[in-house]
Amino acid sequence: MSDLPSPQLTGQQRKVVYGGLTVLVVGLAVAALIVRIGFQQFLQLTVDGLTIGALYAVIALGYTLVYGVLQLINFAHSEVFMLGAFGGLFAARWLLGDGGLPSGFESVALVAFGLGCGALAGGVAAFLLERTAYRPLRKRGAPRLAYLISAIGASLFAANLAGKQFGRQNVPVPPLFTDGVLFTFFGAQVTVVTMLIFGTAVAMLLLLERLVNGTRLGSGIRSVAQDADTASLMGVNVERVIVTTFVIGGLLAGAGGFLYAIVFNASYNMGFVPGVKAFTAAVLGGIGNVRGAVVGGLVLGLVENYGGYLTQASYKDVIAFGVLVMVLLVRPSGLLGERLGRAA
Amino acid sequence: MRQSTTRRLASLAAGALVMPLALTACSSSNSSGSGGGSAAKTQCGTGAGIGKPTGGTLKIGFQGPLSGDNQQLGINARDAMKVAIEQANSSNALPYKLSLVESDDQGSPDQGPTAAQKLVDDQGVVAVVGPMFSGATKASEPIFCQNGILSVSPSATNPALTSLGFTNFVRVIAPDTVQGKAAGDYIVKSLQAKKVFSLDDKSEYGTGLSSALEPELKADGAQVVHDGINPTKDYTSEATKIVGENPDALYYSGYYAELALLAKALKAKGFKGKIVSGDGANDNQYISQAGADVAEGTYLTCACGDANSDPKAQQFVQQYSQTNAGTKPGTYSGEAYDATNALVQVLKGLGPNADRASVTDAFKKVDFTGLTKQVKFQANGEVAGDAVYIYQVKGGQRVVLGLTKDLIK
Repeated sequence: MSDLPSPQLTGQQRKVVYGGLTVLVVGLAVAALIVRIGFQQFLQLTVDGLTIGALYAVIALGYTLVYGVLQLINFAHSEVFMLGAFGGLFAARWLLGDGGLPSGFESVALVAFGLGCGALAGGVAAFLLERTAYRPLRKRGAPRLAYLISAIGASLFAANLAGKQFGRQNVPVPPLFTDGVLFTFFGAQVTVVTMLIFGTAVAMLLLLERLVNGTRLGSGIRSVAQDADTASLMGVNVERVIVTTFVIGGLLAGAGGFLYAIVFNASYNMGFVPGVKAFTAAVLGGIGNVRGAVVGGLVLGLVENYGGYLTQASYKDVIAFGVLVMVLLVRPSGLLGERLGRAA
Repeated sequence: MRQSTTRRLASLAAGALVMPLALTACSSSNSSGSGGGSAAKTQCGTGAGIGKPTGGTLKIGFQGPLSGDNQQLGINARDAMKVAIEQANSSNALPYKLSLVESDDQGSPDQGPTAAQKLVDDQGVVAVVGPMFSGATKASEPIFCQNGILSVSPSATNPALTSLGFTNFVRVIAPDTVQGKAAGDYIVKSLQAKKVFSLDDKSEYGTGLSSALEPELKADGAQVVHDGINPTKDYTSEATKIVGENPDALYYSGYYAELALLAKALKAKGFKGKIVSGDGANDNQYISQAGADVAEGTYLTCACGDANSDPKAQQFVQQYSQTNAGTKPGTYSGEAYDATNALVQVLKGLGPNADRASVTDAFKKVDFTGLTKQVKFQANGEVAGDAVYIYQVKGGQRVVLGLTKDLIK
């Protein structure tokens, strides 16, 4: 076989062939799906999938940013998400007081306040995490594995501390607005919650994109991701960049946690499953790659929503991880590729 | 280049082959898990001479979920036991004091055996009230059986539990064959449902209840759609599926933490049918976790009575509040109180001769008038009687509508 002269494809041609194949496969799958379940149902699943996918993307950014600058998976990120959810929940509950169901401007203010406090709680948690579980190890030049263990330890500690303080049951966010169908799009219902989650997530993603690509801070992050030693010689304060990266990830995850809790309630162990999913999304899109995390999150949300509907909902995770394995077999560095050193 | 592409394609194909295999492996292990226990008739140990009163105290064990998503049901039962034990101690009717040993199994089959072993290893524990959840009960009973210690469940309703050969297991609650049948009749005859979506949580309890419910629904002439979903948080696609089927009623066989999320998802999707669920969801935590607005109108079936609205039980309700920092009895508080009091009556008869063996023998013959029912067992360990109540959420509260047999007429 290998003795035969084989036509070599140039890079450009390969791109076209692979791109064409991918479009074909995805197109066929979507067409089959529409025939099987009907267009309206397909649209509805797409809307729901994009919503949960946007949440995964917001969390995934935290993994991918930290990986970009440290080449480490921050396994305690799921607990930052959980603490953000509780931060937002308690803030909203406090502001709401004993009042009944708010409406109009009050609702908007409450949700915005909850989001802000959730983000703040997430940011603070991420900052403390970096201080206690990462920095001391970095100062001593500890091996990679040590970071992993200390992150897992911090994660267990945070989850159980929350369980002790906030109880081990699900804690609901008090109703902050009247949910209902906002508009229908070819028969697919788009509710207020859906719009809130999707809109907030997209806004946060755009802001982050601006931050990483268009500010001094962003170039700092990118330079550390490229080569930390050189960046430090060029006058970049590496320590500060690392802390900032953790805090940015924490702000995003905290706000995401509050959004998640509005729909799924908060609990001390709520971080685990979305954490794993977001990590998957980050790997699926290409870890270290900001746009990859967004694409990975949306793809994961869509695939598991279609899959859960077609089979039993319990197979959602099987399907999601099955797709991850398949994609990694063909593209080991993820959908958009690991762009190490270019965390944008 | 070409070779590596072929290899990649080959591995992709291999991956595609493995996926369905993995799926079938999952489902088959599930079914063998639920059928495994009924095989052998076990010979239980005797436990004679163990669990005698020492130093003026005798211990009673409790096993149930005291932490985890569905902990409230366990807390309800444990707090009721505290009341019964306090009353027994202050009346000085026994030649020793009773004390309570708690063992938390989180309601999970995995934690059950460890929790049971903890109680069995304590040589001072004479009998156990619990376990509470069916899956945990099935996993724990072999240990109680080997050690010849009595296990009285206030709440494990899976029908098969009394036919597994564990001769020292009894329960003070009717099995789900009774609840499922009554629920099926109520849904078709009183709620007038023509099409019912039956969803279970794939647990020992959920599958037992749904497989008792579905034949009754069909026998009453309703169309039944079945589905199962492991406990999760995101019920969005399941809700889409349910709304797509457009049933008149949904019956969820599972626990309150999950029903709360499912009901939220259904409400968001504009579900118009009635939501009905069983004893595992019959707790005020369902209302607070789903939100009063979402929970409004939900029907709940339970073979358990409600102490709070029962005039005969007011003294118990008062005592319960006093002992437990002002809280009110919840689902299974009454059953656990009855089980403990029946145990106290048995201990009165045995006096200082109580040990694991004598208590097991005497308890199976007990005849005690409890709050919720007459505690008296058939030869297989089932309690006599088949009362099933219907509850409904009205104005953010659970209200007892009455007994099914009265409501259907």
